[in-house]
Amino acid sequence: MKKLLPDEILVKFLRLLAMISGIFSLLICILIFINFFQLKRTDPLNSPALTLLQERLIQNPGDIALKQDIRQLDLMARKVFFTSQWQIRAGGYLLVACILVMIICLKTIELITPKIPSIAATGPEEPWNLRKIQRRWIIIAGILLVTFSLTLVWFTHRMLTGIPAEAGHLKANVSGRDSITGNPVLQSPVASLTSDTVRLLGNAVKSNQAVAEDFPTQQEIRSNFPSFRGPGGNGIAFQKNIPVLWDGASGKNIGWKTEIPLPGYNSPIIWKDKIFLSGAKENKREVYCLGASDGKILWTTDLSKIPGSPGQNPKVNAETGLAAPTLTTDGQRIYTIFANGDLAALDFEGKIIWTKSLGLPKNHYGHSSSLIMYHDMLIIQYDQTVSGKVIAFAGKTGEKVWETARNVKVSWASPVLANTGSRMELLLAAEPDVTSYDPATGKELWKLDCISGEVGPSVTYANGMVFSINEYSKLAAIRLGETPSLAWEDNEYLSDVPSPVAINDIVIVVTSYGVVVCYDAATGKKYWVKELEKSVYSSPMIAEGKIYILDKQGMMHILRADKILAVIGEPSLGEGSVCTPAFGEGRIYIRGNKHLFCITK
Amino acid sequence: MRRKQVILFFLIIGWLSPPAVMAIQRFPKPEFESGYVVPDAQLPLPRAELLAWLDVTVLLLTLSLATYLVLKRRSRMGVFLLSLFSLAYFGFYRQGCVCSIGAIQNVTMALFSGSYTVPLTVLFFFLIPLVFTLLFGRTFCAAVCPFGTFQDLVSFRPVRMGAWLNAFLGMIPYLYLGLAVLFAATTTEFIICRYDPFVGIFRLNASFGMFLFAGLLLVSGVFIARPYCRFLCPYGVLLNWMSQFSWKHMTITPAECIQCRLCENVCPYDAIDFPQTKKNPAGQRKQVNQLILLSLLLPLLVLGGVWTGGKMHLTLAGVNSRVRLARMIQATPVSKDQPEIPEITAFRSSGVQQQQLMTEVATIEDDFLTGSRIFGGFVGLVFGITLIRLIRTPYRTDYLPNRGTCFSCAKCMDYCPVLKDKTNN
Amino acid sequence: MDKQSRRQFIRLAVRGTLFGGIALVTGNLILRQGEPLFGKNRKSGPTVWQLNPAKCIQCGRCATNCVKTPSAVKCTHAYSMCGYCNLCSGYFKPGTKTLDTGAEKQLCPVSAIKRTFVEDPFYEYTIDETLCIGCGKCVKGCGAFGNGSLQLQVRHPLCDNCNECSIARNCPAGAYRRVPLSDPYLLKGFGKEKV
Repeated sequence: MKKLLPDEILVKFLRLLAMISGIFSLLICILIFINFFQLKRTDPLNSPALTLLQERLIQNPGDIALKQDIRQLDLMARKVFFTSQWQIRAGGYLLVACILVMIICLKTIELITPKIPSIAATGPEEPWNLRKIQRRWIIIAGILLVTFSLTLVWFTHRMLTGIPAEAGHLKANVSGRDSITGNPVLQSPVASLTSDTVRLLGNAVKSNQAVAEDFPTQQEIRSNFPSFRGPGGNGIAFQKNIPVLWDGASGKNIGWKTEIPLPGYNSPIIWKDKIFLSGAKENKREVYCLGASDGKILWTTDLSKIPGSPGQNPKVNAETGLAAPTLTTDGQRIYTIFANGDLAALDFEGKIIWTKSLGLPKNHYGHSSSLIMYHDMLIIQYDQTVSGKVIAFAGKTGEKVWETARNVKVSWASPVLANTGSRMELLLAAEPDVTSYDPATGKELWKLDCISGEVGPSVTYANGMVFSINEYSKLAAIRLGETPSLAWEDNEYLSDVPSPVAINDIVIVVTSYGVVVCYDAATGKKYWVKELEKSVYSSPMIAEGKIYILDKQGMMHILRADKILAVIGEPSLGEGSVCTPAFGEGRIYIRGNKHLFCITK
Repeated sequence: MRRKQVILFFLIIGWLSPPAVMAIQRFPKPEFESGYVVPDAQLPLPRAELLAWLDVTVLLLTLSLATYLVLKRRSRMGVFLLSLFSLAYFGFYRQGCVCSIGAIQNVTMALFSGSYTVPLTVLFFFLIPLVFTLLFGRTFCAAVCPFGTFQDLVSFRPVRMGAWLNAFLGMIPYLYLGLAVLFAATTTEFIICRYDPFVGIFRLNASFGMFLFAGLLLVSGVFIARPYCRFLCPYGVLLNWMSQFSWKHMTITPAECIQCRLCENVCPYDAIDFPQTKKNPAGQRKQVNQLILLSLLLPLLVLGGVWTGGKMHLTLAGVNSRVRLARMIQATPVSKDQPEIPEITAFRSSGVQQQQLMTEVATIEDDFLTGSRIFGGFVGLVFGITLIRLIRTPYRTDYLPNRGTCFSCAKCMDYCPVLKDKTNN
Repeated sequence: MDKQSRRQFIRLAVRGTLFGGIALVTGNLILRQGEPLFGKNRKSGPTVWQLNPAKCIQCGRCATNCVKTPSAVKCTHAYSMCGYCNLCSGYFKPGTKTLDTGAEKQLCPVSAIKRTFVEDPFYEYTIDETLCIGCGKCVKGCGAFGNGSLQLQVRHPLCDNCNECSIARNCPAGAYRRVPLSDPYLLKGFGKEKV
């Protein structure tokens, strides 16, 4: 076959052509990249100049010159956008063409140049040596891989543990039982935010020798759940890893449920691995202690016949019952009060330490104020239709430490203890005042006329502000200071049973007809309103940045304690309830109408 | 109040069967007097199904032709020309989708997810090359796979890689395959498609990162022959396994090897096994000992893999969009002045409760725990078996293609001086 | 048995096993598709990607995340739902008072919507697909104050139908899914396109 060109010349020519097309394609490549980045950087369709002119036009709608400018700029921007895109596309085709030419040239050279096999002068290396090297490198690869994986895991883990709130839910189950006593929860984000609330509840000075002291430290109080609405009665639990998902009907995440022999609307309290509550019917009053792990009733103490008991049943409303006040504990003894004014202190084995009768309360619905401990003193808000008072008894002996008369109407609210920064205050609410006392002496510190009616909800405290609420009255936000004063008030959504809760800079109100409202604590601005469409008697609790609201049908509405409404879950207990839930590490204890439920993860 | 609105809404559009939330007829349909006819929405049809079956047919035909060219005709030129056609058809015309490599994920997802069924055409794309390879070796890689043919086209100056580098990088495809299967089985994503380097070039359209990856692969492909096929391709792992037990595999020489050593350096993929007749100076004894030791170590390697995999599961689960969403929701402080993240906005408007999401995510993470452990165990097993196989130096008298790694590209055949005619007697 | 034939036998056995494995997987995958394997109602047919306008939140990622530039997702007009409003909230920027086609009033950044007079007081709006970039701004406007007749849809002739859609991977609302080839649009409307 005759050739048009000698091979050498053809190869030379092709090589040149390949080189030219190679350089050309490199150039096109660079141009495309420049164009691409320019388009990315300037982003003509969202040019700031255009936005600026648009904004100006909104201010001067009649400016015709401005309109012209915008039209021109808009046209230009679109032109730039589409031209750039066209350029990139055309460049792409050109690039492919160039590379194609280059490849064809090089392939042709390859085809026409004779292929000469090369044989190494020395034979191949010994295979076992090669394989030895290969094995070594595969081992290196394995080690590198594992190291890389574990580093990655470490970084992910750090990233994940940085997530607050629901993160606990994502983690594998952590045994709650073991950590109830184990970990002090001081470092919890919730705890640090409201730490001042409870700092002086325990004796911080003596915290080093906690166990030997007469009363528990703040840490101990926080890691337990010693009273109605948690430490200080403030509606905030410091436990962690709280469940958000359960179902009473199917038994999902229900650790156990135990029938409580006698009815009572008091809520459970928790100390270490024991849960205490009481029940009563006509002429029979009992205190129960349940094991937290299995829900077995460990002991029952009959308090039906204590010395000095009035011997007659008080007239109570069915919705209050004969055992409405929640118990309290100081870690050594538990204290209980019934609707007939019978008061008792028991030890952890159920043995009666002391009893007392305060006399049949003059209270037309029935006494319902829960108990609270301040250091080693048991404090009772004893508001009656006449001669209401607040009393402190020594926990150990039952001796009266102080008593202060209260010039208020009868109420059903419970006492709240708050550290206002400089001191501890005991906060009580009843028409007409919210009153603050020195819990050590019973001396009145201040009072503010801001509440009226038959007061059921207790107050709450957060960051220098006290919030009180009552139906047919108002929601009052009191700013503490030299002279406490009303910061703001609102009367759109009012509660006659559930107490408010406050955390960070929000306050949350739950009405008994099931509306949840979130206010700005400082200004009273409403952030959100949520209708549960169920009635609620239980008080809301905040734990792990979430609000737990239990409606009367036993559905728990878990919302985010935040300015933006987020429903985290609505698990149902399968039994009605009017009691406030108690929180253990990884657990919630809810007293339903018949049973005590332990909810786990 | 809200209920009233809802009732009103249904009254308005109830008779029209309410299809979607957004189909709210705020403004009534106009009644035109000028004779204007409301046009139908323009909804052009996608590529016909028949064409998908055409693809399968073309695959079958090219694969048969490739096998014929390699095994019967032993024609490198034929293979080369066919590979150009495949590149044009499966690459630039079909734009590399769906390819057999990516089909791994469709098949896996169909196996593990209840809701996804793999289209038959995709299933065939996955199966046909596997079956062919099990019978005739990796002729698919030689002349049909557009990725392989593309890289073959640009490998102008292949250099021999060190044995150690081959072994080291050769482990990557197993990882890639394992991860791809893990993510597909959990319906997380198709990583093979996401990090596919060449489709961008076939389409002349891709993200910057994709182009960069493709450019790097092609430029390195000038010197390292077929870098994707050898050190990345997850389908190659399956083909490797199949090819090792293939019924008829191509040979370098058509008849008896004359030990001329001419083919020694021609395979750009280091896929030619050299004759090995010498005895290992270390002795049989030591080899057997090593073999026993490694066999005992194998369960440990697998367990180590399972352990590492288990540790990895939260990291790997982070790739899943639902898990990411849940973590995003948790990590984002809810405040009014922050610009909303679209994911969270969409989640809020979806009506799904956070708890539902959390439950869902917990299940996904559980799946990932199982999956990551299996993945880890698989990687441990692969490392172990590779190590064990590297102890033996099998006795061999001739130059033979390595059945696992040979792409059946027929390049070596041209260098063999033995004449074909001799085979026939 | 000598070494050679032993090796052959092992290879044969493994090959048989591999064949069996492939057959098992295939059988499983085909059987689980259920009846019928062919015909109109089968599940095993090819699929295409489409987005559900009911889930779409118009985040704008369709415009930026498609492997194609401009995106294969375009605004699609379901005329049967359109109110033919003079003040179209998909066409005009919010707060526009004088209703003319001035660029400063148009919501569309690429001016891809054509506004034509039909009769008083009705205007027809058509999308120029060669210009539309699929950003969804008009869709948002129409959905917020109008009938929601402007909707984003994957336009199939433009779409490469990637094995895994790159927009689907990044869609914050999870609006994308594989739909059967025989029913490739999810446009919501009151006319023929009613779904």
